[in-house]
Amino acid sequence: MVVVGSGISGSIIANELSRAGKTVLILEAGPGTDSSLVEYEAFLTRFYDAAVKDNQSPYAPNPNAAMPRSSDAVRIWPGQPDSSTYLVRNGPLATDSTYTRVLGGTTLHWEGKTPRMMPDDFRTRSAYGVGLDWPLTYTELSPHYAQAERELGVSGDVETQTFGGITFEPGYVYPMRGLPLSYLDTVVAKGIDGTAVELAGERYELRVRPFPQARNGIPNPDYDDGRGFVPVGAVSTNQVEEGGRCQGNNNCVPLCPVQAKYNARKTLAKALQTGCVDILVQTVASKVILDPVTGRVSGIEVKAYEDPVSPRHTTWTMRGHVFVLAANAIENARLMLASGLGSSSGLMGRNLMDHAYLLSWGLLPEVAGTFRGTNCTGGISDLRTGAFRRQQAAFAVDIHNDGWAWAVGSPYSDLIQMVDQENLFGARLRNALQSRISSQLQLAFIIEVPPSESNRVTVDPAYTDQLGNMRPVISYTLPDYTMRGASYARQLARRVFQCLDAADHTSYDPEDSQYVTYEGQGYVIRGGNHLAGTHIMGTSPATSVVDDRQRSWDHKNLYLVGGGSMPTIGTSNITLTLAALCFRSARHIIQQLRADASLTLPPDAPSDAA
Amino acid sequence: MSTASTRITTVERLREYLYLAMQLEHATIPPYLTALYSLKPGTNSDAYHVIRVVAVEEMLHLTLDANMLNAIGGSPDLTAPSFVPDYPAFLPDGETDFQVSRQRFSREAMQNILEIERPKQTPSEQHRLVRRSAPKAQQLAVVPGEPSMQYYSIGEFYAEIGRGFRYLHKEMGDALFRGDPARQVGKEYFYSGGGELTTVTDLDSAEVAIRLISEQGEGYGGRIYDEHRELAHYYRFEQLLLGRYYLDGDQPGQPTGPALSVDWDAVYPIKQDARLADYPAGSELRDAAVAFNRAYADFLGLLTKAFTGQPELLIEAVTGMFRLRDLMIQLIRNPIPGLDGVNAAPTFEMAAAAVVSS
Repeated sequence: MVVVGSGISGSIIANELSRAGKTVLILEAGPGTDSSLVEYEAFLTRFYDAAVKDNQSPYAPNPNAAMPRSSDAVRIWPGQPDSSTYLVRNGPLATDSTYTRVLGGTTLHWEGKTPRMMPDDFRTRSAYGVGLDWPLTYTELSPHYAQAERELGVSGDVETQTFGGITFEPGYVYPMRGLPLSYLDTVVAKGIDGTAVELAGERYELRVRPFPQARNGIPNPDYDDGRGFVPVGAVSTNQVEEGGRCQGNNNCVPLCPVQAKYNARKTLAKALQTGCVDILVQTVASKVILDPVTGRVSGIEVKAYEDPVSPRHTTWTMRGHVFVLAANAIENARLMLASGLGSSSGLMGRNLMDHAYLLSWGLLPEVAGTFRGTNCTGGISDLRTGAFRRQQAAFAVDIHNDGWAWAVGSPYSDLIQMVDQENLFGARLRNALQSRISSQLQLAFIIEVPPSESNRVTVDPAYTDQLGNMRPVISYTLPDYTMRGASYARQLARRVFQCLDAADHTSYDPEDSQYVTYEGQGYVIRGGNHLAGTHIMGTSPATSVVDDRQRSWDHKNLYLVGGGSMPTIGTSNITLTLAALCFRSARHIIQQLRADASLTLPPDAPSDAA
Repeated sequence: MSTASTRITTVERLREYLYLAMQLEHATIPPYLTALYSLKPGTNSDAYHVIRVVAVEEMLHLTLDANMLNAIGGSPDLTAPSFVPDYPAFLPDGETDFQVSRQRFSREAMQNILEIERPKQTPSEQHRLVRRSAPKAQQLAVVPGEPSMQYYSIGEFYAEIGRGFRYLHKEMGDALFRGDPARQVGKEYFYSGGGELTTVTDLDSAEVAIRLISEQGEGYGGRIYDEHRELAHYYRFEQLLLGRYYLDGDQPGQPTGPALSVDWDAVYPIKQDARLADYPAGSELRDAAVAFNRAYADFLGLLTKAFTGQPELLIEAVTGMFRLRDLMIQLIRNPIPGLDGVNAAPTFEMAAAAVVSS
């Protein structure tokens, strides 16, 4: 089997397949050694040393497998796409979403929140007349959610996560107990718990609720029928005993210093132990090659490079029996389109989704311990579903333990302000900085974006990268449905700040690259890096790219996996759901390979590929 | 295995052994932490991880010992006078050929640690015990009731504890395990990547605990990896001297894994076995050293509470450990006035801390 991409999707499938005795080759476009601690620490050092600590700051620029950075986004003027950086942004909205192209993929910068999607999210078309229905129900995916929660090592409490229709198997507990709410969360809870809001004729009571997270906490002795759970620490070739539980460091994004947060290298390390998995890094998939007779995939053309800076490379074709594209929603679609495979549905690359993030920030009247604990431990989840979804997007609210970092760059921006404008230094500076940043409250509203065929990834031979591969061209805008949700979110933020006697410092800069107006009001809407929907799953080859097992309708031995298969994303960070989908697909591929056992390999296939 | 020669024939004697075991495990922690935080930040990553992981596992052993002691109705007290040794101190060894010091990371310090963790088994049954030959310095793992004798190695000391458990269990049956199960610290409160904390409620679980300690420490039985594919402490430290990682299947002394790099010079030149008296009265260093000792005394007090019925306090102890680290680093990164190029170090003088706090 050939897997393109070593992120969470590719790692899960490779690990499951190798455990079933299949031989797997993983192709990774970016660099990576075999998950050594030394390399991980080099990433950390680079991050610590970086002046701008965005989620790609641990990774050296690599023009052979470039990654988008949030700072790349510039204002798009109509008819003038911006092609100055890897993602060609066609607008009208400039997306600042990113993904990471190194061994382990975007889990090398993810935050680690792992909420399940709500049952309604799988049927928004039939329930609310919006978006699409999945070919799967929550109930069908539920056992795979449990598998994903084991693999990622999720800390959470079933009691706090049973709401909005979410159910768990009787007696189910998460692998580890829920992580505690931060002090900041409890300050917010004191002010708002029990506050009622009316929306579309229904009453909702707000409360601060913890998020389940893929972060090592206290193992639940009741897990797995009382067998308990053994947390996975840091992975390394030589020091397997490193790493531990969450210590409350405040840089979960991009990297946990002690690897308490899950990253796909933990799964890759297990897969490598089977002896059935090989990984080729610095090997960029450039073309999916079809057998013209059968329409099946016969190989993947790759460009392998030694030096990230140099365009020198060699071209190879990787052959196998089954092919899995697990390179994320944008890169999967880019590769297929660059191979001339637009799907008989015409939907390849279409329905690109991401969460729309609206930030609101204020200053609390008291020191609330901001900047202590992990990036985010709690928030408001009461408006994640309800009858109002007929009119406007649902959202969840994150309470950020890292203050105004995302909105304005705290604490560095506060420091510069205090030194340059307020002439503070020494002990006064130290005290002033501490007291200001520890009263900061930033609410991030994660707003639903329904699928829309005009939001899409395309390719254009005019835009290529250093290796000559076509770059993704992104066309993206937010529907009014989402903006109605954003507008309501802004009002709710004002109300929350009132409840807390907090001074609202929110302001949206009209010069910002992601400034949008809706009904006369301006907002800055950030991307969430929750890229999804470019090869959506469905019940028919006419209306979807893959089936409910993420198998291509057009090419029977090709699977396109990950967020791209999701027809909707609701208000849940997508990683847990796409991991669950990959467990489901892995089971199917294993069954399929057993059923196909009589099939012979193509004559030119190497003997070691399953 | 013979139980005829056991020296542990009463529950009281077994408690003495287990308390001594706690003292022994703890005694390694100040030297390991001192070496660990003497490394300059951003350097010596390999060394940092080797030492840190072992220090964490020593804390695991300490907790396992507390569980065993609690299981038989004993009561761990880490605040008792002389629980923390006065360094340099002797550890069990036949020839009293070395003392354990609190010192900076160096080849000498690593040799010193290898002595502590050395995997030697006694040549014969008669040689399990050896006569002490350095009565003045403080010694650990002397034989309770026979202060002139001590065990050949830590492994032998634990082997004796195992014999004691089996002997007493044969004599008394399950009445041996009379302790309050609520005092047991479960794995929900402590884990590292390597080794699992087990509660001790019967003979089987006591033997599991002893085996884990012995195998993690010295690879008892001549093996370098244990059944959980974990490298014994002795060989972990040896990697730093040999400049290469072991891989499973390697022979002792001949690691075949990737090279590791050690920069022996990227280390703060701290004073060996520093004492409060080394810092001028009224100096900032003195205050910082006193603050550290007080924090360490508080920490041992917290552990004592955790080991006597409030295991959930171990969660709180994590914050305490961050504070200890910060206080240690303050000392280690500052020179002692008047001593050319010698930096301060924490002194771990608990008696002094008690005087100051009272």
